[in-house]
Amino acid sequence: MSADIHALLGAYVLDAVDDIERAAFERHLRECAECREETDDLRSAAARLADGTWSVPPPRLRENVLATITATRQLPPVSAPVPVPARRPAPGWRRLTAAAAVVLAVGGSVAVVQEQRVRREHTAAVTAQAAEARIKAVLTAPDLTVREQTLSNGGRVTVAMSPLHNAGVIMLAADSAPSAGRVYQLWTVAGGIPASAGVLVPGQTAYAQIVEGMSGVSDVGVTVEPPNGSAQPTTTMLADLKLT
Amino acid sequence: MTEYSAGRRTDHLSAVPGGRAGPDESDLLGAVAAGDEKAFATLYDLVAPRVYGLVRRVLRDPGQAEEVAQEVLVEVWRTAARFDPARGSATSWVFMIAHRRAVDRARSEQASADRTFRTGSSQIDTPYDAVADEVAGRLERQQVRHCLDGLTELQRQAVVLAYYQGNSYPQVAELVGATLPTVKARMRDGLIRLRDCLGAGVRA
Repeated sequence: MSADIHALLGAYVLDAVDDIERAAFERHLRECAECREETDDLRSAAARLADGTWSVPPPRLRENVLATITATRQLPPVSAPVPVPARRPAPGWRRLTAAAAVVLAVGGSVAVVQEQRVRREHTAAVTAQAAEARIKAVLTAPDLTVREQTLSNGGRVTVAMSPLHNAGVIMLAADSAPSAGRVYQLWTVAGGIPASAGVLVPGQTAYAQIVEGMSGVSDVGVTVEPPNGSAQPTTTMLADLKLT
Repeated sequence: MTEYSAGRRTDHLSAVPGGRAGPDESDLLGAVAAGDEKAFATLYDLVAPRVYGLVRRVLRDPGQAEEVAQEVLVEVWRTAARFDPARGSATSWVFMIAHRRAVDRARSEQASADRTFRTGSSQIDTPYDAVADEVAGRLERQQVRHCLDGLTELQRQAVVLAYYQGNSYPQVAELVGATLPTVKARMRDGLIRLRDCLGAGVRA
């Protein structure tokens, strides 16, 4: 897995990865000093690409920013304010940025889900919060592995799994929604038997779903189903991602 | 080409000052971390045009760019204490925040467009050469332009389409008609070549 993760280095530096890949790569960075060095190095080069993007900001931007900061509390340094050794194993700001990225990413996904179910009761929001916390825990697990497959109709399904948590996060990012009011449905297959892992709403193309008890799961699949989903897949799998 | 090559790393990683004289952004950021609002105003004047320009380049909408640039600059103030000079220059840190925020906004805009119009192809309709030409035509820094010209065609497309337009690597793969592993590899070796070219220029 680490070779796969490592191949993402350039894409990561260019912010060309998705949220799960970003989280997985940043976890990898915490364990790999060489990768941190190369990442820092290439990031400095990438930052120079901004040299050519100079553009006069609207004058009010300065006023707005300076007014905002006077009312914005600053974060304290991560550790005690003593000189830090040059080669710390895991610089704190990166760890926090990584955590923040996951929180934002996961929060965003959950918000999308919630937004489309606005009529649901408060319990739904509480459930979503719990799922979000659980997703965060899985994505920051030390034993996280990430697999991915393209959908036959365009897009990707990504599975991030942690044996430690006996759980996984399935993320669907389809290029387009199914036609005629049909929806995407996610499946986990254990012992040859598919079980629904989540149903999207009509028009929805992106979804993040926590799945508990991944240990017996051999495949993660995606199909197009009628609204509210089916008990069993009724169409061919657009993706069938083998986990074992 | 995709093998990790530790020996390739050169020693100029922390010295990418952009070739400008004047106040040092790292010192300013240190003062900002201590709550110095005047230092922040000076830092603002140094980096805001490039932050705004970069965000606008990625988002291509001045209104949104202004909003995101403000978020980025306030974030710089808020998290200044977390900047680690051992990991790179202050400007590189600021542009990392700016680029990531811009890309995140571009993707969430795209996601919301997906929900509204039920199509995911709006961004992909832009021909890559138009974008590349626009970017190349507007590059004000001769050195960056020169170094981008030194990349292979596919390296240049991979880097430019991702950095300036906020495309993910699968989107880039679709735009240029290459496989995912190829695009990932070209992004990385393109950046390595860019780094070597820029590093040589800074030292000259």
